[in-house]
Amino acid sequence: MPSLEGLPGDEEDWIRRFPQLEQALAHPLDRRRTLKLLALALAGGGLAGCDPGTPDRGFVSAVRAAPGVVPGVPNIYASAHVRDGYANGILVTHQMGRPIKVEGNPGHPSSLGATDLFAQAAIQDFYDPDRASGPLHDGMPAAWQEVTTALQALRAGPDGAGASGGAGLRILTGTVTSPTLGAAIDALLAAHPGAIWHRWDAIGREAVRQGAARAYGRPAMVIPDLRQVNVALAVDSDLLDSAPGHLRHARAFAGRRNPVLGDMSRLYAVEPTPSLTGVAADHRFIAAPGACEEIIGRLAAALLHNEEPSGGPDWLGAVVADLRAHRGRALVHLGPDYGAPAHTAIHAMNEALGGRGKVFDVFEPPEYRPVQPVSTLSDLMDDMEKGRVRTLLILDVNPVHQVPRFAAVLPRVPLSVALADRPHETARAARWHVPLAHGFEAWGDARADDGTATILQPQAMPLYGGTSAATILRFCAGEVGRPARELVRQVWREHLASERDWRAALAAGVIPGTASARLEAAISPVMPPVSPRGAASADLTLLLRPDPHLWDGREANNPWLQELPRPLSKSVWGNPLLIPPDLARSMGLRNGDEIVLSVDARRAVLPVWVQPGQASGCVVGLLGSGRRHAGETGDGVGTDLYPLRDAVGPVRIAATGRRVDVACTEHHATLVADTPSDIVRHGTLARFRQEPGFLGTAQDHRASEAALYRRDPGAPVAWGMSIDLNACIGCNACMIACQAENNVPVVGRDEVLRQREMHWLRIDRAYEGTPDAPDTFFQPMLCMHCEQAPCETVCPVGATTHDSEGLNVMVYNRCVGTKFCSNNCPYKVRRFNYFAFAEQERRPPISRNPDVSVRARGVMEKCTFCVQRIAQARIAADRDGVAEQVVTACQAVCPTQAITFGDINDPDAAVRHRKASPLTYGVLPEQGTHPRVTYEARIRNPNPALES
Amino acid sequence: MSAPAVIAAGETAQSVTERICAVTLREGARPWTPLWWWVAFAVSLGLLGMGVISVAWLFYAGLGIWGIDWPVVWGLDILNYVWWIAIASGGTFISALFFLLGVEWRTALNRLAESLTLCAALCAAIFPILHLGRPWFFYWLFPYPNTMGLWAQFRSPLVWDFFAILTYVLASILFWYFGLLPDLATLRDRAGRPGQRVFYGVLALGFRGSGRQWRHYRAVYAVMAALMAPLVVSVHSIVGMDFAGSAATGWHSTQFPPFFVFGAALSGFAVVLVAILPLRALLGLQAYVTARHIDVLGRLFLTSSLCVAYAYLMDAFSTFYGSDPAERTMFVLRVFGLYAPVYWGTIVLNIVLPQLLWWRAVRMTAPLVWLIGLGVLVGMWLERFQIIVTSLARTQMPSSWGQYTPTIWEWSLLFGTIGLFLTTFLLIVRLMPVVAMAEMRAMLRGGVG
Repeated sequence: MPSLEGLPGDEEDWIRRFPQLEQALAHPLDRRRTLKLLALALAGGGLAGCDPGTPDRGFVSAVRAAPGVVPGVPNIYASAHVRDGYANGILVTHQMGRPIKVEGNPGHPSSLGATDLFAQAAIQDFYDPDRASGPLHDGMPAAWQEVTTALQALRAGPDGAGASGGAGLRILTGTVTSPTLGAAIDALLAAHPGAIWHRWDAIGREAVRQGAARAYGRPAMVIPDLRQVNVALAVDSDLLDSAPGHLRHARAFAGRRNPVLGDMSRLYAVEPTPSLTGVAADHRFIAAPGACEEIIGRLAAALLHNEEPSGGPDWLGAVVADLRAHRGRALVHLGPDYGAPAHTAIHAMNEALGGRGKVFDVFEPPEYRPVQPVSTLSDLMDDMEKGRVRTLLILDVNPVHQVPRFAAVLPRVPLSVALADRPHETARAARWHVPLAHGFEAWGDARADDGTATILQPQAMPLYGGTSAATILRFCAGEVGRPARELVRQVWREHLASERDWRAALAAGVIPGTASARLEAAISPVMPPVSPRGAASADLTLLLRPDPHLWDGREANNPWLQELPRPLSKSVWGNPLLIPPDLARSMGLRNGDEIVLSVDARRAVLPVWVQPGQASGCVVGLLGSGRRHAGETGDGVGTDLYPLRDAVGPVRIAATGRRVDVACTEHHATLVADTPSDIVRHGTLARFRQEPGFLGTAQDHRASEAALYRRDPGAPVAWGMSIDLNACIGCNACMIACQAENNVPVVGRDEVLRQREMHWLRIDRAYEGTPDAPDTFFQPMLCMHCEQAPCETVCPVGATTHDSEGLNVMVYNRCVGTKFCSNNCPYKVRRFNYFAFAEQERRPPISRNPDVSVRARGVMEKCTFCVQRIAQARIAADRDGVAEQVVTACQAVCPTQAITFGDINDPDAAVRHRKASPLTYGVLPEQGTHPRVTYEARIRNPNPALES
Repeated sequence: MSAPAVIAAGETAQSVTERICAVTLREGARPWTPLWWWVAFAVSLGLLGMGVISVAWLFYAGLGIWGIDWPVVWGLDILNYVWWIAIASGGTFISALFFLLGVEWRTALNRLAESLTLCAALCAAIFPILHLGRPWFFYWLFPYPNTMGLWAQFRSPLVWDFFAILTYVLASILFWYFGLLPDLATLRDRAGRPGQRVFYGVLALGFRGSGRQWRHYRAVYAVMAALMAPLVVSVHSIVGMDFAGSAATGWHSTQFPPFFVFGAALSGFAVVLVAILPLRALLGLQAYVTARHIDVLGRLFLTSSLCVAYAYLMDAFSTFYGSDPAERTMFVLRVFGLYAPVYWGTIVLNIVLPQLLWWRAVRMTAPLVWLIGLGVLVGMWLERFQIIVTSLARTQMPSSWGQYTPTIWEWSLLFGTIGLFLTTFLLIVRLMPVVAMAEMRAMLRGGVG
C-alpha cells in the first residue's frame, strides 16, 4: 500500500505537494483495515447528513417568525456585510436553507436597500472552494485540538504564559467597529496587561480619522448629507464609490440630480485619475495629487482667510465664488489619500462655509478606539525585528502580501497565529493558520459609519469549519467554552434586555438607538499648514489605488469580481497600469504594451492601458492583483504592486517591446467621435429650462410607428423599465446583482479575450471630447424587451418570443443556437454559450438560484427582466389577492435608484411617471424596435461662469 | 470572324459515344485509372479526413473552438456556406438556363457543370447544420408534427433558407440524375465486365431508349430545366435575404437578393472554368470542349463580373444615399479600417482582374483564364468575409464593436469541405460519363436535346 509506483514524479516530490502523504505513508495499512476505514467513512458520510441544527440556536427570519423551511419559498435573514470594519446592512435570501442572494436592508442607514458590489459578490466568497478547510501548523494540516493546545500557552493562569503579564503578546487587526470584538480585545488586554493591540488596514483611512480628530480636538466622524448640498467640491474624493456610507451618499447625491424631480445640485471634482465621483460631476478638473494639495492650500486661504484666490488653476476663482454664494449649502470633500493636515483644513473650510448641521454634521466615531492605540504597523514591525514580539495574533488581515517588510520580520516571532479565511500569504507564513468563519457563518456585530449597530447572524452552518476573531481572543483571555452567540448577546445585554428585543433586532438587522451621538465639539482654531508633497516636477507620479473590484486584494479569488469590467477601463482579469494619454503619445505606448515600472530599485512588469482624463505625469496602479495564494481563481492574475508601495525615489517606466493581451470588454476606440451622441443623450440644465423636451422622445422624428408585424401583447400588465442616466454613477453593483440572481456564468480571462463574456447587463462607457479631458458617460445596457423585437422574427424555431405581458422571453430548451437573434439585436445584449460555461464554473451547484435555469452549451441567453421574480409576485398576488410590487435584481441593488421597473399600464406605477419625463428617450429609435426600456437623458448643471 | 465550332470537325455520333464511354469504362488501350486521378483522389481524401476530424472535434467540444464571438456570431461557417452555394450555381445556369435558351455550346459542358453544382451544394448544405449551437436539433427547423406542439417560425429567413437549400439540393440531384439516364443506359449496354453491367444497369433504371421513353424523358427534362432555372435565382435571393432580412448594419439592404444572384453567377462560371480547363486536357476532351466553349464562358464570366461591379457600386451608393450614420461608419471602416485589405482584395479579384477578359487573346489563353477564375473564387470568398464579418464587427452600438479571427478549426473545416467537393467530383468524373453523350449525338444529328 505505501507505494507511489505508477505515478509520475518521485515520492519526495509527491510528499512535498501533499504533506499529509508523509504521515500516511509512515503508517502502512493492510487491506482489511483499509476496507474497514472505508466502510466507516461511508457510514460517517451518512451521519454527517444529520444536521445538528443551526449554530447556537435558531435564526430569526425578517419576514416570518422562524417557520422552518418551505421548499421553493425563500427565507430572508438580516445581517451585515462588513468591509474594513464598516457595516452595510444586508438581507440574505435563502432557498432550502442555503444562502443564494444578498439584498440591501432598507432599514439600515448605510444600505437603504442597496448594496455595493462586494456585498453582492459575498455569495461567491461564501461558497469559495478555496477557503480553508482546517487549521495548518507550519503548512501541515493540524487538528483543532492542536490549535487549542497551542493557544493554551497564552491563557491567563498560573501555568500559562499569561503569568508573564502578556509581554510580547501582540494583536493585529483591521479597523474594528464591532463592539463584541472590541470587548474581546479589551478582555484580552485586561488579562494580559503587557499585550498591545495594533490596528492596520491595507487601504487605510487613518489620515481621515487623524484629520477629523485634529480638527475637532477629539475623535470625530464627519458625515455629509448630500441631499442638503447645493454646491459641492470633491477633491480626489471617494464619497460615491467607497467611503464608509457611500451607498447613502450616492442615494442622496442622485436625489438631487434629475431636474424633472427637483432642484439640481452642482458638483465640482478635482482629481488625478477619473473616479465615479469625478465622472458624476458637472465639472471635472484634472490635477495631479501635488496640485490637489496646492489647491487645498489656496482654497483654505480663500475660504478661511477670505483672501481672493490668486494663482492656481483658472477655474478656482469661479468655484470659490460658487461655494461662497451657497453658504450653508456648500461642501468640500477630500479623499483618503491625503494627509491629516489636509483633512483638518477641509473640515475648517466646511465650518467656515457654515454648513454644519445642514450639509454635514460631526458625530461620535463608530470605531473601537478610533484614534487611540496608534500603535502602527511600523511600530509592530520594529518590535518584531528586535525580537520583542513573542506571540502575534494576526486577525483577518494579510500583511505578508501587502507589506513586503512584514514578510521579512514575521519569522522572528516564535508563535504567530493567523486567523484567515483561506491559506493566503500571511496564513502560510505564520506558524499557525486558524480558519476564519465567513461572515455568513459566525455570530458577530458591526457598526455602520453613523454608528448604527447590526448583529451578524450566521446564515448557515460553517461550510468548511472556522471560528471568529472574538472567539479566539476570548479563548486566549481565558474564557473558555463561551459560544459566539453568547459573546454577542453579552455585549448587547443592556441594550437588548429582553429576548423579544434581541429577536426584533436580529429580524430588523439594526439595533435601535445605536446611532452615534452628535458632537458639539467646536472646530480647532489652529490650522496646521497643508504642505504639498514635493513640488510639481518633471518626474512621473505613481498613484497606487485600491482596485475598485478586488479592493486590497481580498476579493482576488472571487470570479464575479475578477470578471467585472472596471468602471472606466473596462479591463478584467488583470491590472494594467493606467497611463495618461499624453504619456502614451510621447512614449509611443498603446494599450497592452508591456513596460517595466520602477521606483528606486523596486520593479514591476505589467502592461499599460491608456486612461483618458488622467492627469499628465500620473500613472495609476491598482493594488490587489498578482496574489500568490489567493486561491485557484485568483493566483497570479495581474501584477502585484504592493512591493512598490513603500519605495521612495523617482518613478520610471520603460517599454519592454513586448505586447500583453489585456482582457477588456469594450473594444471600440476610446473616443466618442465614434459614438453617435444619440445613444447617450445629454445636455445642460440651462438648455433644459428653455426646452424641457429637447432630448426626449419628441425629438425622434425617425422613430416610425410603421411595423411589419402587428403585435399586441394583450395582457393587462405591461412590464417596462426606465433608467435614469442622471442617477447612474457606474458603480457596477447591478451587474453583479444580475449575475448572482440569474446564474450568469463567469467565462475566464481567455474567453473574455475572445469576447465571449456573458453579462446580461453591462454598463457601457462613452467618452466625448478630447482624450486628455473627456466627458464620460455611463449607460446600463440590457435587453430592451422591444415591442417590435427584431430577434424574434429571425429565430427559425421560435425560441425567443413575446409573452402576453410584453416580455421578450428566451426558451432555452427550444434554442438550437443559430445565433441569428444576436445578429439582429441592435443593442447586442444577447450572450451565447460557446462552451458549457456554467458547467465549467468552480462554484458548487448549491450556490445557484434554483428559480433560474442554468443554461447549457450552445444556447443563447439574455436579460429576462427577472421573470422569476415576476412569477413569484404573480403567485403571491393569486394567493393573497394583493398585487405585489416586482423589483428586478438590478433595480433592488442600485444605490442611486437609477432603475425603475413596473407595469407601465398601471396609472400609479412609478415607472409610468418616469417614462412620462420629458427626458425619456429610447436608444436607436430609427430601428423601430419600440423598446420597453427607456432612458432619462443626462442633464448636467455646469457653472455658467466656467462655460466658455 | 466566325466563331470556332462547338465540336471538332469529323466527330460523329459513333466517335463521341466511343470516346466518352472509354473514359468511364476504361476499356481498350488504357484499361487502368490514370495516375493523376489517384494522386488527386488521395489529396482530396486527405483534405476530407481533416474535415471529418474538424467536425468530430466540433461536435465534441462545441462552437467555442471557433473564433466567433459576442458581436461576430457568424464567421467562416456562414461565409463558407454562402461561398459554396454560390459556386453551386454555375451548373444550373449552364445546364438549365441555357437549355431553355437552346444554346448549342451548353451540350458539352452541362454534365460537368451539373456535377460541380451537386458537389458544391453538398458542401454548402453541411454548414447550416454545423453552425448551430446544438446541431443535433437541426430538424427543429423543419415543420413536422410533434408532441411538443411546436412549429417552425416562418418569418425567419433561416426557415426560408432551410427550404430553399433543401429544394435546391434535391432538385439538383434529380436533374443531374435524370439527365444521366440515357447515358447510363449506353454504358450498361457497352459495359464489358459483369460488375460494370450490374452497376450501370441498376442506375439506368431500365431505360431502353424506346420512343415512348424518349418522349417522356424529353418532356420531363424540359420541365425540370424550367423549374431549375428559377430555382437557382430563388435560392440565391433567399441566401441574400438571410442577410437583408436582418437589421444588422451593412446587411439591411434591398439590393441583396439580386446582388447574391450576380455573385453566384460569377463564382459559378469561375468554378466551371477552373474545373474544365485542366479536365479537358487530362481526359482528352479537346474535341468536345473547344476554344468556342472557353470563349463563351469567358464572356459570361466577364458579364457577371460587371454585374457584381454594379452591385458593389450600388452598395456604396445606397450607404451614402441613406441617412444611417452607423451604416456609413461601418462602410468607411470596411473600406479603410482593419479589414480594408479584404475589401480591396475583393475589388481587385472580382472586378479588376476579370476585365482582362475583354481581350480575346486573354480569353484564348487557358492558363490566364484559369488563374482569373481561381482569383475570382478567392475574391468571392473575401467578399463574403467582408459582408459577414465587417458588418457584425461594427454594428450600431460602439460598445459592442469587436473583431474576429478564425481559428484552425474553421480553416480545417473549409479545407475539409474542399476535400469533400474534390472527392465527390473525382468519383463522378471517374464513374459517370463526363459529357452528355445522348445530347451530343442529338446535336450532331442537328437538334438540341
